[in-house]
Amino acid sequence: METLKEILSPDFLLRNSVYTSVLIGFACPLVGVFLVLRRLVFMGVALPQISSTGVAVALSVPFWLGAKPDHAAHSEHLLAFAGSMFFSLAAILLLAFCERRGRGLSEGRLGTAYVVASALSILLLSKNRYAEVGWLDLLKGEIITIDNYDLAITGATLALVLTMLLLFHKEFLFVSFDRAMAATLGKNVLLWDILIYLLIGVTVSISVLSVGPLISFGFLLVPALTAHLFARNMKQFFALASVLGGLTAVLGFGLAYQWDWPVGPTDVVLLGVIYAAAWSGQRVCRLAAGKN
Amino acid sequence: MSDSVITLESLAIGYDGQAVLSGISLAIARGSFTAILGANGTGKSTLLKTLLGLQPAVSGQIKIQPPAGFGYVPQATQFDPLYPLTGFDVALMGTFGRVGPMRFPSRAEKDFVRDCLRATAAEGFAQKKFSQLSGGQKQRVLIARALATKPEILVLDEPTAGVDVAATKSLLEFISQIHEERKLTVLLVTHDLPLVKKHAQQIIWLHDGAVLHGTVAELFTPERMAEIFEMEVG
Repeated sequence: METLKEILSPDFLLRNSVYTSVLIGFACPLVGVFLVLRRLVFMGVALPQISSTGVAVALSVPFWLGAKPDHAAHSEHLLAFAGSMFFSLAAILLLAFCERRGRGLSEGRLGTAYVVASALSILLLSKNRYAEVGWLDLLKGEIITIDNYDLAITGATLALVLTMLLLFHKEFLFVSFDRAMAATLGKNVLLWDILIYLLIGVTVSISVLSVGPLISFGFLLVPALTAHLFARNMKQFFALASVLGGLTAVLGFGLAYQWDWPVGPTDVVLLGVIYAAAWSGQRVCRLAAGKN
Repeated sequence: MSDSVITLESLAIGYDGQAVLSGISLAIARGSFTAILGANGTGKSTLLKTLLGLQPAVSGQIKIQPPAGFGYVPQATQFDPLYPLTGFDVALMGTFGRVGPMRFPSRAEKDFVRDCLRATAAEGFAQKKFSQLSGGQKQRVLIARALATKPEILVLDEPTAGVDVAATKSLLEFISQIHEERKLTVLLVTHDLPLVKKHAQQIIWLHDGAVLHGTVAELFTPERMAEIFEMEVG
């Protein structure tokens, strides 16, 4: 409890990291709900990795051009964000296009994208002598050195995503649940599909850049999967997933700080433990209800 | 000649420019109850999708008299049970054509949806999870959703698929009742010949690349039936 009080204090040295972690924890599950409902869980795995490759490519460009990196410069972060966005959006639109055509093996495409993206990131950084100085930390999610500028960018981007989700939630749900009916009522299904994929892409990019691919994947999917066990309607689904993500981010940071563990893996393991406990609890309750 | 709400002129339907049925020319009268019959793979769903504008016609024309709007009732089995939607949530989607982006359904729209659920005897399913309803219960919610679009033409794609015999009978009687009370044009895709004979006025029979169109009395004669079934066996 003392640790939680300490990390939530405005004077806490790593407060920006806590705030960023919590922002990602609250926002990612809201987007993840749509990945789960559209049965695109594998895309949730592949996208953060592809986004990381975008960061690696973007950061390698100045190196290829002979420029010296400045890890503290905002221009480097902007470049990384641009690379992450470009790769995320290109990948999600391409994968979604293949999904719509319904040809070939979807899991095969996503698995290949994931493994190639992972390998490409390693290759790019292994040939870059500046990589170990700071870029690998960035790719892993340098969660302890987030300055006010990065926090502001993350907050503003996620606020934009949440506003869009709130304003167009009705349309996103409609085209996801029943495309044919939406089309007969004059909805531009393709446009709404593209918009939701853009929001997913932006969220993945900003979260990968802030906390890395591992935590992004964890927060995108695990809170949504856990909330799905209990939600009786869509409002409960969104609320449970988001609150679970946000609270786990705070708790995970507290545990990591107290025991000197890395934050990202702590958050993800904690999410996994909560999911396993929730799933087991639900089974036990069902069995008990069945006996009565 | 009666007032036609849908007119098909030399229509060819199919996928990727390849026609599965062609030369379809017929008119569907306003306020009629028309059944679309045919074995699997004869193009019933393709015809329905083309009428609804979900896929382009290969050639020919579809004329729909304004302000006719479609109320589409898809097969209940096609919905993913992952969505934690209540019966009311699903029925409310019928208002989304009138409620644009960045707006939420008003209280009046929600009351109207409750009326539609009441009209389809689905009021009791409003707060239940849609995925946990039986086939017949889902169909009633989906018909309520279609009514919530305030349609002139109700299009039902095999509404009795996966529904037991008693519920099928009750569902068809209910659709027939709505048709009469609301003066709706009904287009129903089904396999159920006895129920079609009882409720439908017109038949569109897709068979072996041909389209037979006529009243129940014209098509359900022993000679025509023998001809059709002989062709199917052959």
